[in-house]
Amino acid sequence: MIGDEDFRRHCVAAALLSAAILALVLSGYAGRDRLAEIAILAIFAMSLDVLVGFTGLVSLGHALFYGLGAYAMAAFATMLKLPAGLAIPLAVLVAALAAFLVGILAIRVRGVFFIMITLAFGQMGWAYFQRSRTFGGIGGISGIGQPDLDAIGLSLANPADMALIAVVAAALVYLALARVTASPFGRMLVAIHQNESRARALGLPVQSYKLAAFTLAGAVAGLAGVLAAERTNFVSPDLLVWTVSGEVLIMVIVGGLGTLVGPALGATIWVLLRDNLSALTPYWMLAMGLFFVAVVLFADEGLYGLTARIPWPKRRRPSDA
Amino acid sequence: MLEARGLRKSFGALEATRDVSLALPEGARHAVVGPNGSGKTTLFNLLTGELRPDEGQVFLAGKDITALPPNARARAGLTRSFQKNNLFLDLTVRENLALALAIGERAGTVFWRRFERVPGLLARAEALAERVRLADVLGIPVRALPYGTQRQLEVGLALGIEPKVLLLDEPTAGMSAEETRAMTSLIAGLPREIAVLVIEHDMEVVFEIAERVTVLDYGRILAEGTPQEVRATEAVRRRYLGERAQ
Repeated sequence: MIGDEDFRRHCVAAALLSAAILALVLSGYAGRDRLAEIAILAIFAMSLDVLVGFTGLVSLGHALFYGLGAYAMAAFATMLKLPAGLAIPLAVLVAALAAFLVGILAIRVRGVFFIMITLAFGQMGWAYFQRSRTFGGIGGISGIGQPDLDAIGLSLANPADMALIAVVAAALVYLALARVTASPFGRMLVAIHQNESRARALGLPVQSYKLAAFTLAGAVAGLAGVLAAERTNFVSPDLLVWTVSGEVLIMVIVGGLGTLVGPALGATIWVLLRDNLSALTPYWMLAMGLFFVAVVLFADEGLYGLTARIPWPKRRRPSDA
Repeated sequence: MLEARGLRKSFGALEATRDVSLALPEGARHAVVGPNGSGKTTLFNLLTGELRPDEGQVFLAGKDITALPPNARARAGLTRSFQKNNLFLDLTVRENLALALAIGERAGTVFWRRFERVPGLLARAEALAERVRLADVLGIPVRALPYGTQRQLEVGLALGIEPKVLLLDEPTAGMSAEETRAMTSLIAGLPREIAVLVIEHDMEVVFEIAERVTVLDYGRILAEGTPQEVRATEAVRRRYLGERAQ
């Protein structure tokens, strides 16, 4: 039963969270900033997992919603001078709405055509923000300003506080998505992934569920984008370029599809490898590529799959035959 | 309960269905027989909505459902099993049946309660497993089941949405003699509220479960009647039953 996996998943998630807290306490300025980046990418990767791992919709344009969340946050904060408490939910809403509209068209096609149509929409977004004078063109928007969190004694300009907030957000997103994917709604997504034609023959309105999954994934990616904008205090078209969509897809696949914690693990490994290897060799991307090839070839279920080799205690379920 | 009027469907120059009409009253036990390529599966696809007819209409409980897609027809109470096993292969038998039940109950709008904790869902999945004789294999992933057992689940999934009309596409295809007997008695034991239309090659199975038989040939109806009437029809004897009936 899929549910039996939950225990192992939560254990791995708890281990990852503990490592994050440890890093938060022990590391310096740069380390904390990196931790914030990892947590943000983990949110982004988990959002894509809803689509790819659970519903079986492989998107190569997910950065569109990440970028839209970031740009919406920047625009609301700098142009409309909205307070963060309003700007953040509105920015997430913008990403969700965009995902809903793109989704209406994208879910009409399947397989490689779905990949192509999401890629096309992603590139359209990138091209728009590159040219748009309103949004600063290639230069993007800087000086977004950070919400006043003095009331709770935090400041987003301080990497430690930013990292703390990003890690807490990642943990909450994990819990929420774990809950949603284990629900009847989530199981319908798995059913579509497993056998779309049978799900339809049994009466499931498959298209509505795909659209709901696409919108949910877009909204969560938008939240990751909001945090990314807050972390760097800057947005640019680079957030939406198609390689960003490709990288987050790699994080999901290498981490372990349909596991949530796997993609978070994938994001962690991605950032750590990138930073450590690039300091060692100019051929770091080659080394990273080899590593990911090895993971995909030899680790069933990605990095998360490796944790299956740990002898976890069995949890007994009365319902098991 | 289910009625088809004047269905026609062509694929290019091939007329797969030519003026086929069919009526299944409530609780019907109806079989469609015919040689390979006679248009049986096309007829099924027209009835379930996977194909749109070029002409003709399909009615379910008096309502015209010709324009409805398969999922809407299923919600209205019409579903099918498939000639080739069409299951959720990586999930267990229990999960497969629970999914079918949840789809039938439109439980998918619930997104904050765990699937397994939907009241009564697993218990009903287990009761359904009893009906299709899968109670022993509830926890086994479908992929690991023998073919004949998967065929039983094929029927189990279709029953999960509590259909008014059940279309079974060659339920005994590829089964051993023993598995065929088990499947035949399973179909014979289906509740009488359900109208059953079955495509079947095995004439023994047809004569055992069907009360009416339609013989298709080159997409058109060659004969229709009770099994005895159809068996006695000269055209059918020549064309289809061949030596077996003599």
